Amino acid sequence: MIRQLRAEQIKARRRRVWAVTAALGLLLCLWGAFNYRHADVSDLAQGYSGLFYQLPLFNTILLPLGLAVIASRLCDWEIKGNTLKLLCTLQKKERLYDCKLLMGFKHLFLIACMETTGILAAGARFHFTEKLKIRLLALHFMTLLAAGAFVYLLQQTLSLLWENQLAPLVVGLIGSFAGLFSLYFPKEISRLVPWSYFCQFTPILMDWNRETRQQRFYPTEFPTALFLGFLAATVGVYIIGKLLFVRKED
Amino acid sequence: MLIRCIRTENKKLKHSILWLACLAIPLIPAVMGTFNYLGNLEILTPGWHNLWTQETLFYANFFSAPLVALCCAYLWRLEHRNHNWNALMTAPVPVWATVLAKFAVAFRFFLITQLWVGILFLASGKCIGMEGPAPVEILGQLLRGTLAGAAVAAVQLFLSMAIPSFTLPVILAFIGSIGSIYVTAKGLGFLSPYALLMLGMNANHQENMLEGQLFPFLAAVAGFALLFGLLSIIWLKKKDIRA
Repeated sequence: MIRQLRAEQIKARRRRVWAVTAALGLLLCLWGAFNYRHADVSDLAQGYSGLFYQLPLFNTILLPLGLAVIASRLCDWEIKGNTLKLLCTLQKKERLYDCKLLMGFKHLFLIACMETTGILAAGARFHFTEKLKIRLLALHFMTLLAAGAFVYLLQQTLSLLWENQLAPLVVGLIGSFAGLFSLYFPKEISRLVPWSYFCQFTPILMDWNRETRQQRFYPTEFPTALFLGFLAATVGVYIIGKLLFVRKED
Repeated sequence: MLIRCIRTENKKLKHSILWLACLAIPLIPAVMGTFNYLGNLEILTPGWHNLWTQETLFYANFFSAPLVALCCAYLWRLEHRNHNWNALMTAPVPVWATVLAKFAVAFRFFLITQLWVGILFLASGKCIGMEGPAPVEILGQLLRGTLAGAAVAAVQLFLSMAIPSFTLPVILAFIGSIGSIYVTAKGLGFLSPYALLMLGMNANHQENMLEGQLFPFLAAVAGFALLFGLLSIIWLKKKDIRA
């Protein structure tokens, strides 16, 4: 497995996947920090809560398409070079699927790390007066990874199944759009949209006062049952995706 | 020669699922925007203008530019693959005709998408019982957005030609769109082709964002389209075949 992973690493050279990962992570951090340039006392008093509320929303906009691009970059060379036919005589198809998945998860992990570091950096740069709750930071990191893993699995499967990379990208674009719009709907509907899950586990809710035009963030209970159900669905998508790839004629 | 090149580009797009994207993606803002409008009638003033703000809320800000980028990247992907680049470089066709034909096809793609957006807007308005005809200004905004699409198409065609990757130009358009929100907020919208789309479509604004600035807007659109069209021609002229 390690040798196969190393081979994937070598194949990824000069593909500029790192540039996409870095650009996504940087953009998310800048976008999150952007709102705090002219923050007042009340904004700073709930700075971290604000970020824990807003960043999942930015993730919903950026990551479905971003992860679609990463998955496509990591899978496209096999399609372009028509290498699957030869490759699958040397290595098990299941292993190839897993190696590509691990490669993609590495990039997802880096984005999550950049975003988490960005939260800490924003707190230090803008002097948030709110005390950072490590539990919320860990939850943010974990839920971003979980939701991203589901989306990445979906995109990788599509990128490997479809010869034309246009289709997975269209799905990614639709995912960004549908995920964002579904958040304006009742939870029963938005939970049917997998791309909205970047926001479904957020431990912070917002109360907007129309008269004072002030927003107040308050904690809410973490939906453990929903999260476990989502993890089970992710495992299901993994099994189905792998099965589809293994059964695909090259 | 140009007509012949456009016909060739059309043939290359046969059996492509690009048209599916052009039809499916505008359905999302139309359906969800309409439901969002209906769900927020306590806050919004009922009328065509507010329905338009809800339907273009995210479409113009985030998704229309990547949609154009997707089309442009697909047009150039065909040339980047299977040694087609060499065939393109040795074809007895002037470079300007190749570039202009791709631009014409990309612009037609966006024109049809915008028409579809307009039809869906009118249909959704009528479905929820909106009274009277849609204001002419909204159709004007749709037209302005379509023209801004020409600038985005020129930029994206250049990027898709210069970067031999299908996905990178699309993500660049997406990042450009997000960055352009800041540029527009700073009042520098005319400096970014992606911001021109937002300004043209009057995204999420009731008041006209281009009040008294239509000519600078048109000049910016023409400037971007010409600049990147010329850059594409020069770049393609200097580019060699790939052995």
